[in-house]
Amino acid sequence: MTQLLTTTRTRTQRTDRIEARANGLLGDCRRAFHAFGGLDELAENLRILSLNAELAAGRAGDKGKAVRALTQYTRELVNRLAQIQGEMHSLRGRTFAFSSTILRSLMQLNLFERSCQLIEADTGSGRSCDSAQRAFADLMSVLVDTLDGMANAVNDLSRRTHAVEEVVSQSDSIATNIAIEAAAAGVHEKEFRTVSDTMRIYVDDLRQMIDEASDAVRRAAEKGEALRRIGLDALDELHRNS
Amino acid sequence: MKCATLFRQDDHCWQMFGQDPDKPDNVVDTNQYLIRSGDCAILLDPGGMEVFPAMLAALTREIPVSSVKALFLSHQDPDIGSSLPLWRRVCEPDTKIYLSWLWSSFTAHFDRDAVFTTIPDEGMEVSLSPSVRLRFVPAHYLHSSGNFNVYDPKAKALFSGDVGAALVPKDKATGSVFVTDFASHVQYMDGFHRRWLASTRARDAWCAQVSKLDIDFLAPQHGLVFKGDDVKRFIDWFAGLEIGSGVAAMNR
Repeated sequence: MTQLLTTTRTRTQRTDRIEARANGLLGDCRRAFHAFGGLDELAENLRILSLNAELAAGRAGDKGKAVRALTQYTRELVNRLAQIQGEMHSLRGRTFAFSSTILRSLMQLNLFERSCQLIEADTGSGRSCDSAQRAFADLMSVLVDTLDGMANAVNDLSRRTHAVEEVVSQSDSIATNIAIEAAAAGVHEKEFRTVSDTMRIYVDDLRQMIDEASDAVRRAAEKGEALRRIGLDALDELHRNS
Repeated sequence: MKCATLFRQDDHCWQMFGQDPDKPDNVVDTNQYLIRSGDCAILLDPGGMEVFPAMLAALTREIPVSSVKALFLSHQDPDIGSSLPLWRRVCEPDTKIYLSWLWSSFTAHFDRDAVFTTIPDEGMEVSLSPSVRLRFVPAHYLHSSGNFNVYDPKAKALFSGDVGAALVPKDKATGSVFVTDFASHVQYMDGFHRRWLASTRARDAWCAQVSKLDIDFLAPQHGLVFKGDDVKRFIDWFAGLEIGSGVAAMNR
């Protein structure tokens, strides 16, 4: 009977280093999507607000002309938000698919690294761990490709965040202009001011979303790039040693 | 991980891998079997992914992994074949994977890219080498509904999957891979057979079927190997056992 003994479960340093950063990256992506979790509701509230503002503008007759134009512009922004939101949904699906591939690859990398350690620790057998090493390299290559895809997804997310930022800035101007129109609207001032104030509340909510998401996206982009470099370095090292 | 040679005649041999002392306690102990003939080998129930590193290390001590020409999965459980995607990464691309037709699309959840050679319900025969033929013997419903044993007429060996399995506590292990005292071994397999195995009809059919085979050793996927007279002792014990104990929970 032969027996291969290892006293303790060894650490897998190469995989562990990548895994710690990958968990951080995936956590940041989750945070970014979570930050935009309320976007659906906000866009709908903004749409209802623009409809109510349009009705108020209609009631105000000539004094509501400018407000009517501003609310139509608001509806275009709402449509833009809906479009961004749809893109975010598909981006979220893509990011989560990359995440699952990354996690699966890491789990398998860990097992192959452990295999290599066990084979190499079995001194005297004269064996090499070629097959496990090759599998490790193949998986690392898959991981680097997936991290490339993930980095692109993070860049897309960053672009969407900027697009929401533009909507916020334009909505803010609209709210200011409605407030100006309110000052000259006589008996309709109160109604228009309510629209303007409510719009500002929504703009603040959107700003808060962007602040949280931007921070997460920036961190994710940094981690994604660092991870890609680690993966590429690991691949280089594997190729040099093969 | 231990590797014990159960049978050897010229270049034909059966080896058992298991009783990994480094295995976490919460992971059930499994036996993996390697049948070799010349440069060809088949790995029976390659194991779960948790045991893969130790199993690969132990196997490559015996043979190059390129010699593994086929993998056999007795059924769909994770301790049987969740390591499949890992084995496929180290084995040659043309390595065959045998599995009951019932489970191919389910086992694809472990490894969607695996291509299975499916085994029909009645079983099949395969050649490991020009001199060694193996028979995949049906053992459905014991415990899995699509389940096979492997019989090697030349080695007079039966890989019996979960039939004959025993959960031997770590502190009761004797160091041997064989049952040395059948009467005292019963306590470790009794609960397993009563609860995991359910169909009396399937059990009776299995006992009738394997009683016709010439078996020197019966090798289960968990626990110890039965050899010599203990093979018949086991079949007789199993034939009289009340199984399907889980049903009682539904009759309360």
